[in-house]
Amino acid sequence: MIISCRWLSRYIELPADLNLLVQTLTFSGIEVEAVKPLPELPAGVVAAKVLSAEPIPGTDHLQVCSVEFGAGEPAQVVCGAPNCKAGMISVLALPGTELPGLTIKTATLRGVESRGMLCSERELGLSDNHAGIIELDASTPAGSSVNEIYELPDTILELEITPNRPDLLGYTGIARDLSASLGKPLRLPPVEHLPGEPSEETALTLVLEDPLKCPRYTARLLDGVNVKESPQWLKTALVKSGLRPINNIVDVTNFVMLELGHPLHAFDYGKLQPLDPSDGHPAVVARQARPEEEFVALDGKNLRLNPGDLVIADGRDASALAGVMGGKDTAISAATTSIVLEAACFQPGSIRATSYKHKLSTDSSYRFERHLSPHYVDLVSDRAVQLFLETAGGKVCNELYDAWPEPLKPRYLAVRPCRFRQLIGYELAGEEIIRYLEALGCEFIQYGAWIDGLIEDTSLIHCHHLEEEKAGKTEFSEIDCVHSLFFRIPPQRVDITREADLLEELARLAGYERIPRKKEAPRIMDRHAFRIRRGIEDWFADASFHETLNYSFCDPAQLADLALEPAETEAKLFRLVNPQSSNQSAMRITLLPQLLDNLRYNLNHGERNLKLMELGKVYLKEGDSQAEYLSFAAVLTGKMDPEHWSAAGKAIDFYQVKGLVEGLLRLLGVQETNTAALERPWLSAGDNLGFYAEDRVIASCGRLKTRVAQNFGIDLTLLKQDIWVIELDVDLLIDLTRGREKIFRELPRHPAVTRDLSFLIKTGVAYAEIAAAIKAVNPDLIRDVSIFDQYLGQQVPEGFRSMSLRIVVQDSEKTLTDERVDQVLASVREMLFRAWQINMR
Amino acid sequence: MQEQLREAAEQARTAIAACQTNNDILNAKARYLGKKSLVNSLYGKLKDIPPEDKPAFGQAINELRAGIEKLLAERELELKDRLQEEQDAAQAQDLSLPGNFRPRGSLHPLTIIRRRIEDIFMGLGFEIAEGPDIDDEFHNFDALNTPPDHPSRNLADTFYLENGCLLRTQTSTVQVRVMEKYPPPIHIISPGRCYRNDKPDPSHSPVFHQLEALVVDKGVSMADLKDTLQNFAQIMFGEDVRSRIRPHFFPFTEPSAEMDISCVSCQGKGCRVCKNSGWLELGGAGMVDPAVFKMLGIDPEIYSGYALGFGVERIAMLKYNIPDMRILFENDVRMLRQFSGEVL
Ligand SMILES: [Zn+2]
Repeated sequence: MIISCRWLSRYIELPADLNLLVQTLTFSGIEVEAVKPLPELPAGVVAAKVLSAEPIPGTDHLQVCSVEFGAGEPAQVVCGAPNCKAGMISVLALPGTELPGLTIKTATLRGVESRGMLCSERELGLSDNHAGIIELDASTPAGSSVNEIYELPDTILELEITPNRPDLLGYTGIARDLSASLGKPLRLPPVEHLPGEPSEETALTLVLEDPLKCPRYTARLLDGVNVKESPQWLKTALVKSGLRPINNIVDVTNFVMLELGHPLHAFDYGKLQPLDPSDGHPAVVARQARPEEEFVALDGKNLRLNPGDLVIADGRDASALAGVMGGKDTAISAATTSIVLEAACFQPGSIRATSYKHKLSTDSSYRFERHLSPHYVDLVSDRAVQLFLETAGGKVCNELYDAWPEPLKPRYLAVRPCRFRQLIGYELAGEEIIRYLEALGCEFIQYGAWIDGLIEDTSLIHCHHLEEEKAGKTEFSEIDCVHSLFFRIPPQRVDITREADLLEELARLAGYERIPRKKEAPRIMDRHAFRIRRGIEDWFADASFHETLNYSFCDPAQLADLALEPAETEAKLFRLVNPQSSNQSAMRITLLPQLLDNLRYNLNHGERNLKLMELGKVYLKEGDSQAEYLSFAAVLTGKMDPEHWSAAGKAIDFYQVKGLVEGLLRLLGVQETNTAALERPWLSAGDNLGFYAEDRVIASCGRLKTRVAQNFGIDLTLLKQDIWVIELDVDLLIDLTRGREKIFRELPRHPAVTRDLSFLIKTGVAYAEIAAAIKAVNPDLIRDVSIFDQYLGQQVPEGFRSMSLRIVVQDSEKTLTDERVDQVLASVREMLFRAWQINMR
Repeated sequence: MQEQLREAAEQARTAIAACQTNNDILNAKARYLGKKSLVNSLYGKLKDIPPEDKPAFGQAINELRAGIEKLLAERELELKDRLQEEQDAAQAQDLSLPGNFRPRGSLHPLTIIRRRIEDIFMGLGFEIAEGPDIDDEFHNFDALNTPPDHPSRNLADTFYLENGCLLRTQTSTVQVRVMEKYPPPIHIISPGRCYRNDKPDPSHSPVFHQLEALVVDKGVSMADLKDTLQNFAQIMFGEDVRSRIRPHFFPFTEPSAEMDISCVSCQGKGCRVCKNSGWLELGGAGMVDPAVFKMLGIDPEIYSGYALGFGVERIAMLKYNIPDMRILFENDVRMLRQFSGEVL
C-alpha cells in the first residue's frame, strides 16, 4: 500500500523524525518496504495556463504553445504531449530549472524556440505517469506554487500489509494502529449521515439474492450531480497514492477507499433497467451470474460469466462483477446526472475465485479478498455522499437502501494478564492492556472470571470480585476473577477471535523490544578447539589409524631411549612423589615412547601392518609452574593399504606419510606452511620434514632411526620394515586456525589453459623452489603449478633428473588467447634457463 | 489416396520393427525411402493431383517420409544398444571377488563413549568445559568442601607431584574453575582424565576418565537432576532403562545421592553383572552444597544447582560388555579394530 505522509498526518500527528515513524510501523508489524522522499520542487516550476496550442507543420505531434505562467509575457513552449490543448492548466518548468536528472534549457525544436517545458507527473518525480502533461484543476491561477498544490515536500511510504490485517488497507486504519503504538489521539474525518429527500421519481428497487456471497448491500441515490474533473486537493491525494484522477465521482469513491479502506462503486442511475419494464424503478440485484452471461467490463474486456460469479445487475443484465470491476454500460460518464452509490460487503472466497478466474485483480478485489467487515458499510457510504455533494453538487434522494439480513452481533473476549506473562514473558499491567486495546478500538467492559472464546452476551461475565466486595470481603477467593479483562471487539477487526489474537496485539503494540531475554548463559565451551580435535582424530581414523589411550605417566629411562639428552629432559620433567612404579614415575612429555611400546606389543602379537595414534596431553615443567599441551603422535609401519588380490601392496614411503600431514593441514584450512628438514634425535637424517607456521613447528614427519627402534625392542633388520612417525602440535593448530571462516570464492568465468613442460634439471634443486619460481613469473595468470612425473631412469644423465610439470594459466578478467598463453610460457622457459640453465626437452 | 498412404506407413512400420542387423536397416532404408520406394513414387504422382489438393497431399507425403526416417533411426539405436549389452554380458567378471577399499581405523572405545556422552549433553543444552589434570589442593579439595583431614587427601589415594601440586582425583576441579570465572546460569559438562592411587585391576585404574555435569541457575531442584539422569540413561542405554537415586554422602553436595540404572544386562531381573540386584551403580550426584557456592561467591539464596558425575570406563564397559578395565589401556589392535565399525 502506498501512503503519503502528508495525507496520513490528517488523521494522526506523526513524529517529526521519519526514522522514528518507519521504526514504529516496522515494529508494530507493518513492514515499510520503501521510503521515497518527494522533495520540494525548485522555484522555476509553476502552474501555467496554455493560452494557445498550434501544431508545428511537418511534425506529427509537436505543438507550439503560448503559456501564461503568472509573471511577465507568456512563454513560447514546444510540447509533444497528446493531451496538450489550449485552455488547460498545466505545470511549466522554466529554463534554468533543475529537475531530477534533467536541466531545462531554452532550446530550438524543428526551428521553433521553446522557453521551458510542460511537465508530466513523472518528470516532477510525483508518480510514474508519463502519458501526458499534468492537468491541474482548471480553477488554479497561473503562477501558483506547485509545492502548495502538491503539498511538497512529502514522503511516500510503501507498506506491506499482512493478509490478516484488512483493517490496515486504508489511511485511517494505519492511523488507528499508529495511535495505539504512539499513544497519540486518532483524528477521524467527521462523517455525518445526511438524510435524503423523499422521492418517488428517483427511487430504486434493491434485491439481495445471495446473502452468503454478499452479506450486506447498501445503495444511495444522488440526483443532479455535475460530473467533471476533481478539485485539485482530490487529484493530489490520488496521484500521491499511485492512482490516476478520472472524474469527481470516480475519484471520490477511490479517495474513500484509500481513506477508510473499503471499496465503493458508482453506477449511472440513468442506465439501469427496471426489473419489470412496466413497473418503473431501476433495479439493483445482487445475484449469481447466469450461465454464459456476457459482461463488458469497465476496461472494455468481454467476459463470459457463470454461476459462481457474483454480479450486481440491473433488471436485465450484469452491471458489475461484484467487488471486482464495474461494467462499461453503466459507468459514470460526462453525461451522467444521477448516480447509485454502492457500498457493500462481499465474501472473500467468492471474490478471490472470480478475480482468479477472470484474471482481474483490482484495488477493490484486493481488499474484498481480505475479509472486510460489513459493519462500517453505511459509514463508508455517508463519507462518500458527503464528498459527492462537496465536489459534484446535486441532492441525496431517499434514505439509504440497506439489505443486511444478518447484522453482526457484538463480540466480547477476555484477556488474562497472567497469560500474557506466561506467553510473552513479562508483566503487562491491566491499565496498560486497557490503554493499548482501547486505542485499537476495543472497548473495555469489566474485569471478570475467565471465559474462553468469543461471547456475545456481557451478562455472561461473572465477577466474584464485585460480589465479594459488596459482601464486605477484602480477600478474594477466585484469583481468575480480577485477572481477566473483558473487551468488546471492534467490528472491523475480523481477525481477532481468540485471546491469543489479543495477546499478539498487546505484544506487538508494547513492542517486541520489551520482551526480556530469560537466560544469558555465558559461552564457556571452546567450540573451535572441540572441532579441530575431533577433526584430527577422525582424519587419522579414516586413514585407518587406530587410536590408543595410554597413561599420562612416563618412564624417564625411555626418554634416553629416544636419544634425548638427559639434562634437557630433566628440566621439563615432573616427577611424582608417590609413583606406583619407576616406569610410571613422571608425567609424560611426549606421546612417542608409549606408542612405540604399543607398536612392539602388537608386532609381538604377529601384526605387521600397524598404524597407531594418540591425541592427548603432555605435561611440561616450566620453571616452578606446569603447562599442559595437547599433543598428537602417530607411528606407522608395513603397508599403507591392506593386501588385495588386484595389486601387490606397497610399503609405506615418505611421500605417503607426508601426504597424511598435508591432507590434514588442508582439512584444517592451514595454508602457507613452510617445510624444512628437522632435527629430531629419533628421526633419521634424510627422511624427515618439519612443517612450519610463523617459525614454529606445527607438524613433523619422518623415519624412526634403527637404533631408537632397537632401544624400544624392535629389530628393524629382522622386521624388514621402516617405522614412520608423525607428530602434531595440536594447541598450535587450534590457535592458528581460530577465527578463520570459510568464504566461497567466485567461480572463474574464463576457461583455464593447461600446458605441460618436461625438462632435465640438476639434482639438488628442489621441486618446490622451481614451482615457486614459475609462479612468480606471472602470479596473476599462473594459477597452479604441479608435478605429474619424475624420472631418474637410464636415459637421464648422471647428476640430473627429468621432471614433467603442469602449468595452469587463467585470467580472471578475460579468455586468454593462445598467443598470450605462449607468451607466458615463453617467459617461464626464459626464467628456467636463466636460473638453472634448463633447456626444454 | 489416404488409404494408400496409411497402408504404406503400416508396411514400413512392420518391416522396420523386424530389422535385426545393421544390414537390415540399410535395406529397409533403400526400400522405403530410396529412389524406387513407394514414397518417392508418390512424389511423382503429385503432378496428377488437382491444384487445390496439392499442398495437403504434399504435406501428407512429407509426414510419411519423416515418420519412416524416425522409425529407422529409433530401430538403429535399439540394435546398437542391444549389441552393446551383449558385448558387456560376454565380458562379465567374477563379481564375487572382494572389493578394494582402505578400511577405516578406529577411535578408542573410550573416545567413542566420551563423544557420545558429550553429544547427548550438548543436545540437552550443556557446554563442554575442560581444565588441567595437574591442579592444587584448593581446587581439588578445599573448594569442594573436603575437610583438611579427609582420608582422600592421603598419598595412598592421591598422586602428588614434587612441586606440591596433585593430579586431580575428579573433574569437579573444572566446576570450581568455571564457577570462579563465569556467573550463573551455568550448564556444563567436564570430561577428562582423573588419577587415583589404585593398582590396576578389573575395575580400577590409576588413570581413568570421568565426566561431570554441573547446572547452576535460579530454581534448579533435584527434580532437574532426576530429569537429566533419566534422559542421559535412556539416550545412552535405551528407552527401556530406568534410573534412580539413593541417599549417599559427598562433601560437596547436600543432599547427595548415588545414581543407579536398571541392569542393562538382565533388564533389571537380576544377574551376575548386577549381582542379582537388578540395578547398576552409575555414579554420584547431588545438589551443590551452599558452602561450595559461598566459597565461590555465588549467593545460595538466589541460585541452586546440581552436579552429577560418572566414569567413562564404567559406561564403556557396560555398553560394550568389556569385563576388565585393563583391556582398555592395553591398546591391542585386535581389540581396537573391533571399534572400526562404530558409527559415531
Ligand atoms: Zn543384571
